[in-house]
Amino acid sequence: MSDTVQTARRTKNAQALWLIAVLLMLYIPIVSVALASLTNTRYMQFPHKVWTLDAYRNALADYTTTTLHLTSLKIAVVVVVLSVVIATLGALAFARYEWKGRSFFRRAVLLPVFFPQPVLGLALLLSFTAAGITPSWQTAAFAHLVWIVPIVTLVISIRLYGYDVMQEEAAFDLGANRLQVFREVTLPALAPGIVSGALFAFLLSWSNLPLSIFTTGADTTLPEWLYSRASTNYSPLVPAIAMIATLASALVIAAAAALWVLLSRKSAPRQAS
Amino acid sequence: MAQSRTRLLAVLLPLSLLLLAGFVVPIVIVAFYSFIPPRSFEFSSDLTLQNYASAIGDGYWRPLLWSAIGALLTTIICLLLAWPTAKALDRFAGRWAQIATLLIALPIFISESVRLIGLSLFLMPGGGILAGSLDALFGVSIGTILNTHLAALLGLVYVHFPFVLFPLLLGFSLVPREQIEAGRDLGAGRWQLFREIELPLTAPGAAVGALFCFVLSLGANAEMTILGGQVVTVITRAIEQRFSYAQDWPLGAALTMLVIAVTAIVVFPVLKRIDMERLLKR
Repeated sequence: MSDTVQTARRTKNAQALWLIAVLLMLYIPIVSVALASLTNTRYMQFPHKVWTLDAYRNALADYTTTTLHLTSLKIAVVVVVLSVVIATLGALAFARYEWKGRSFFRRAVLLPVFFPQPVLGLALLLSFTAAGITPSWQTAAFAHLVWIVPIVTLVISIRLYGYDVMQEEAAFDLGANRLQVFREVTLPALAPGIVSGALFAFLLSWSNLPLSIFTTGADTTLPEWLYSRASTNYSPLVPAIAMIATLASALVIAAAAALWVLLSRKSAPRQAS
Repeated sequence: MAQSRTRLLAVLLPLSLLLLAGFVVPIVIVAFYSFIPPRSFEFSSDLTLQNYASAIGDGYWRPLLWSAIGALLTTIICLLLAWPTAKALDRFAGRWAQIATLLIALPIFISESVRLIGLSLFLMPGGGILAGSLDALFGVSIGTILNTHLAALLGLVYVHFPFVLFPLLLGFSLVPREQIEAGRDLGAGRWQLFREIELPLTAPGAAVGALFCFVLSLGANAEMTILGGQVVTVITRAIEQRFSYAQDWPLGAALTMLVIAVTAIVVFPVLKRIDMERLLKR
């Protein structure tokens, strides 16, 4: 008996070690970026002789940093707003309403997700050009939507599956009209799903490289700029801007987490009653 | 009845229009371009298979093969790494597992450019993070795998690992713990537990993860540029070159159609078998 207990403990320790190793591997490159940003020499010679925040000062003073962030932000905001609206409606068709073509629709929605993104980007580029549309940040936002809306639809659907339709019926029985039911019952119940969907949309758009690279035309997003500067013309400015962009998205995660907690707290008592 | 049909149409329409305009129509346009005479730009009526002949005959199958091999290896390695990880996370249910899961999820949302730059800075020879630290701490100087196939593969595995892990984790959460314990009580060994209980029950999650990983790494290009030093040309790069430098859209379109065909061959059979609803509903 004590033998099996000991084996179980040993397995558990091995598993804990494995998880720590996996986490280390995942974070080593990110820590590397942070370390590389803390110097001022063009050629990296780690450990740095001079540790400095110069690269951050330069990055903040550089107009490019602002332009890149603004382009990425414009795209992300458009993607968040449109994808939340389209995906919330889509999720209702996906998970809530019973209809004949639903199982086909469910699979069709998934197809863009299971599709190589750069190939989608190239196909869209060819189509834009064929249609005489000059690629810009707007076309990139459209490309992002094609990939991100299906994912947000899935995220909101998960919430919808756990949702009790009887609440709506009860509200109707109590004399509420359709708009009231949507505003007072459906929307609050879906709110946490919508917030996580919006967060997914923002982060996936903010960090997207494979679609942006072919669809932004003359505009440049953050990941695109980092990608092109990583292979040619590297300087500590590259990791510094990478860190600034990452911290910006971390702030968004924190804000969304706060909102999520607030909303779940608000909708919880209503669900309980 | 009529009213509920309008309501269904209203919720269905925006998403359907988006998928039509952003997914179906572009594929149709690419398909059309792939049949027009080489190096032409206008829609014309004389359709030809010449682009496919050059796509296959002129050695363009090579980039496609490289991408397919890379995607396959990435998928296998990711499955092998994700399996024990998902199992461990499932075992340590509780606060620590939640924190670990969150920490594994976060890097997905950091741009792959940032993560790949980090990996290349880590692997850089001489003054790289790894080589420089080893030299400073222990006086050991090491070489580098940067600009090799291996480095590109490492990048592919690094970027796509979470895409395999999370569906697999979802699969593991479907395995009732009692069933494993029952199996153990009945004297099943570790291998038997794996083959008879864990594997069949987690198969849908593993399949979704593997599919995700294969398809995403099939189109991957940044790993080869930043880490692999372009030692081989991958299919995305080949298509891009046809579109931009060579100004040969029809050939680029034919290559794109070949990738779409490979994707379809892999995706459709798996998607058909998997019950997404069951996986999502839990």
